[in-house]
Formats: sequence, structure tokens, C-alpha cells
Amino acid sequence: MRIVPGVRRVGFWWYMAAGAVLLVTFAAVGLYRGSVALDPADVLAVLARRLLPGEYGPVDPQVETIVWSLRAPRVVVAAMVGGCLALAGAQMQGLFRNPLASPGIVGTSTGAAVGAVFALTFGLAGAFLLAAPLFAVGGALLSLLVVTRIATRDGYTPVTTLLLAGVALNALLGAVNSWLIARSWEQYEAARQIAFWMMGGVADRSWEHVAMLLPGLVVGCVVAAWFARDLDLLLEGEEVAASLGVDIERAKRAVLWSAALLTGSAVAVSGVVGFVGLVVPHLVRLLLGPVHRRLLPAAFLTGAWFVVGADLLARTLAAPKEVHLGVVTAFVGAPFFLYLLVRHESEVAVSR
Amino acid sequence: MTAAPDLAKQAPRLELVSGGVERRGRWLLRNVDLVIEPAMLTSVVGPNGAGKSTLLKLLSGTWRLTEGRALLGGFDLAGLPRRQAARRVAYVPQSVRPSFEFTVREFVTLGRYPHENRLFGTRSADRDWIDRCLDDTDVLGLSERRVTTLSGGELQRVLMARCLATEAEVLLLDEPTSNLDLAHGLDLLGLARGLVDVGRSVVLVLHDLNAAARFADRVAVLDGGALVAEGPPAEVLEPDLVRRVFQVEAVPLSGAASTVFDFEPLA
Repeated sequence: MRIVPGVRRVGFWWYMAAGAVLLVTFAAVGLYRGSVALDPADVLAVLARRLLPGEYGPVDPQVETIVWSLRAPRVVVAAMVGGCLALAGAQMQGLFRNPLASPGIVGTSTGAAVGAVFALTFGLAGAFLLAAPLFAVGGALLSLLVVTRIATRDGYTPVTTLLLAGVALNALLGAVNSWLIARSWEQYEAARQIAFWMMGGVADRSWEHVAMLLPGLVVGCVVAAWFARDLDLLLEGEEVAASLGVDIERAKRAVLWSAALLTGSAVAVSGVVGFVGLVVPHLVRLLLGPVHRRLLPAAFLTGAWFVVGADLLARTLAAPKEVHLGVVTAFVGAPFFLYLLVRHESEVAVSR
Repeated sequence: MTAAPDLAKQAPRLELVSGGVERRGRWLLRNVDLVIEPAMLTSVVGPNGAGKSTLLKLLSGTWRLTEGRALLGGFDLAGLPRRQAARRVAYVPQSVRPSFEFTVREFVTLGRYPHENRLFGTRSADRDWIDRCLDDTDVLGLSERRVTTLSGGELQRVLMARCLATEAEVLLLDEPTSNLDLAHGLDLLGLARGLVDVGRSVVLVLHDLNAAARFADRVAVLDGGALVAEGPPAEVLEPDLVRRVFQVEAVPLSGAASTVFDFEPLA
């Protein structure tokens, strides 16, 4: 029997190639499968017309609407949301040196949900389309601002204080959310939208949602990449990181704000999709090791194909009805996570 | 384990000027004036709780002083960007169990942080240098092992390798021999000596006064958060001071080349 501590690592480029194949496959099936049966050739024709230069033959406008305006943005939003959540989760797990941290651990996703629910119950979302997403991103950033303000003393922010402040704020915002929801019960439409938000999903997403998510995703990813190496050193503790040259307060702040932006943007367009930000980074760390220059891009890609795949299940499992995306990610994610925990623990036990 | 000429450095002077640090209303160190002369092996000794580890944290610039200043080559250490400071002063804390599964090579490469490109990391020259550091500390054979599976002594040597990887001119090591067997302990002290001989400064926290006397050029004695003596070991480590600071009777043994003590409880 070969004794290996933990799960044996896989090569980074092999892992990324496999992830890319999965993403393309799930996306392709996502465009082709749905309540209306389509001919794969028609789907390809629509994509060619839209994405490639040159002239192509006419396509049935109804097919074009289904593929390009209904299914394509849904797939793209799913991939982006999954990537954002998994990346933010990987960052939080690194920053808190805890593989059980999730993207919303400092209150950002609950804050985003409160922002969106606020916009919905007070009818702001009816007034203009961007209200709920903007309030969601605002809620995420405001939550982080509050938590860091509470946890900072003399320019120093200990992560344990940050964590505890995050737990408290999560509880408080959860209560605010319940209260807002309770007072909206008489308004049927608002209650329905809130329920959608709390369970998470990418149904009926449009290219506008892609455009809303894009700035947060780009800025969040760039900052995350710039501070990826600092996370490696922070895993070894702040004193060691500082002695090796990390400006720890700056690094912590950059990681927190970029993760909040990623989480807030994702929640803004898809509601609270659970478990992706917890399971995916943990899985990728087991397979590739803790070096963030590999872990972060791999987590992003894995989150992307995982959510595109989960959304595919969400709309095909009980077709023509849809299961909520958040329900699927939790149903797939939780057992898989437990399996990994058990397997990982036993292999570690063998190695000692 | 000898230090090759390309390790040669001209270490800067590192000094603490009336340094003091207060945490939670208690002074861990106060009024410490200490100069770490270039190219010297300085040993810090003292009973538990004397402030030895705190002293290294202040000298490394990872803790801010409440009073006084830490100067590196005449410049205030607190005013230097961390990255620049880390290229010149390296600090190895008392060994802590790592909880994340870096390989030994990845772990030692963390020491390249102050030199590497933020996005693309290490180049092949860095990798050759990492090989040298792994070899000098006798852990090259472990390079693909997970750091979580190492023994205490192996981890200690890996930490030393990471410290060398920084190329720093001043090395501050907190109890580097505490987990090592006799052979590896002597190897490490020999490596430290070799680094000093090519121009670096090394500060070691040691519990073994005889090792301090034998290997160090200077000894700094701490007691209750104050520096009580500093100088060449032969002058500083005399029975009176040892009795006062360590609460033990030091009996010099005859026949040894340098002074070697036998320790007995106070009567």
C-alpha cells in the first residue's frame, strides 16, 4: 500500500485542461438542453452568427432568441458567479488560515442579501432594474466596512477579532433580513422575488446581468492575483509573513475588499448560492496544494464548471419545473464535502 | 555544511536604542541598548520569560516598539518598507507546527518572497538558490515531503533553509537547536559560524550556556525584561552572574580549552 499524506497531488495544467473541457461541455449542453428541444446544428449556427466574423445563413429567429437571449446569458452568469464565489472562498480560507471559511464569513453575503431584500421590499427594484444588484454590492461592501472598523485597533486588524465581528454581524443581518421578509408577506411579487434571492439561482438572467457582474469580477480577480503570493505567507502566521517581507495590514485589506467585491457582485445577480465558496476551494487545495498562484485560478475555473453543471441539473432534474440552484449546489456539495473529509482524514491517519 | 564564498555579505549594524515594548499593560522589555556588530555571532541567553523572543521580534522589525528605536545600518527599521527590511534581516521564530500541506520546497521558497516578482514568482536562478539552501541544511532529500509530516528536527532545519533563502545579512534565530539531535545541533551551529565568517551577523537564542560560550563572539544576557550584561562570553558568563540570573551554581570544569560549566542547584 502506498502511503501518501493527504490526497496525492495532480498536475496544475492537467487539472486546468480537464476543468476547461468540463466547462465547455457543460456550457454546450446548457445551450442545447432545456424546455424547448433544439437541433444542435441550429445552436452552432446561432453561436457562429453571433461570435464569428463573416456572413452565415439565416437562422429561425425564435431559436436565436432561445439560444442567444435566454440560455447563453444564463450559462455565462452561472460560470461567472461560480468563479467569483469559489475565488472569494479560497481567499477567505487563506486569510483566516481555516479551510472551513466561506466567502461570506465576514458578513458580506448576508449584507448583500439584506441590500437586495431592502431594495425589493421598498419597491426600489420595481423603479429601476439595477436597484437590487447595486444595493446588494453596496450591502456587501458596507458590511465589510463595519466589520473592519469594529475589529481595527491602532491600525491593526487581528483576524480572530474580524472573524468574531463577522459572526455577530451575520447574525444581526440575518435578523434584519427575516424582519424585512416578514413585513413583505402581503406584497406577493416582492415576497416571490425575495424567496428567489434567498435560495439563489440564475434563471431568467440576461446580458444586462453579465454586464453588472463583469466590473466586480474583473477588479476582484486582478486584486486577488496581485495579492495571491501574500496569502501563501499569511498561512504561516502574521509574524512569519511580516518577517519575510509581507505588508500584512495592506495584504489583509486587499484580500478582504476583493473578496467582498467578488461575493457582493455574485450575490447581486444570483442571490445566495451556497456551498460553492466552501467546497470548491477546499477540494482544489486537496488536489493541488496550498500555493495560491495555482489554487486561485484553479478554484475560479472549478467554481465556474461546478455552477454551470449544477444549473444544468437544476433545470433538467424535475423538468419542466426547475429546482433552485442553491438547493442543487448544497445537495451535490455537502455529501461530496463529507466524503472528502472522511477520505482525507483516513489517509492522513495512515501516513502517521 | 560549510558556507560557500558566494554567501559572503557585508552585514549592516543592527541596534536597539533604549528599546522597550509594552503589551497588555506589561513591559516585556524596557531600556534595552544593544548593538549587533556586523559579522559577529551573538547569543542571547536568559531564564524563561526574560524577553529573549521579544528581543528578536524587535530586532527583526516584526513588532513595533513602544519606546525607543531599532536601527538597521543607521536607518529606522520601522521606516523601511517590509520587503526591503526582509531582504536584510531574517527571523526564524521558535518552531510552530505548520498546518497547511506545502511541500518542503514550496515552504522554503516562501523565503524568496522579498525578491520575487509578485505575479510570476520564482525564476530558475531562484530555484538553483533554493537547492543550495536545502543542501546546506541537509534537507535536499526531503524536498518533496509535506511539511506537515516532518519531525521536529527536520522542520527546524527546513526553517533554517527558508531563512537562508532570503539571502538576509542578519539572521535572528529563536532557539534553533532546541529540536535537534547532537549532530544536527552542532551542524547548525557550525553553519551559523560559517555564515559569520563570510560577513553575516547571526543572533541565536540559546539555552545551553556552554554552547553559547563556545560558539558565540558576544553574549547578551536578559533577565526580567532588561539587558543585564553584554560582551565576550569569557567576560560575561562568570559564576556570580549565572547564579544571580539563572538561580544555579556554575562550577567551572578544569581541563577544557575554554570555560565549561557544570551546573548545580543553589544550596
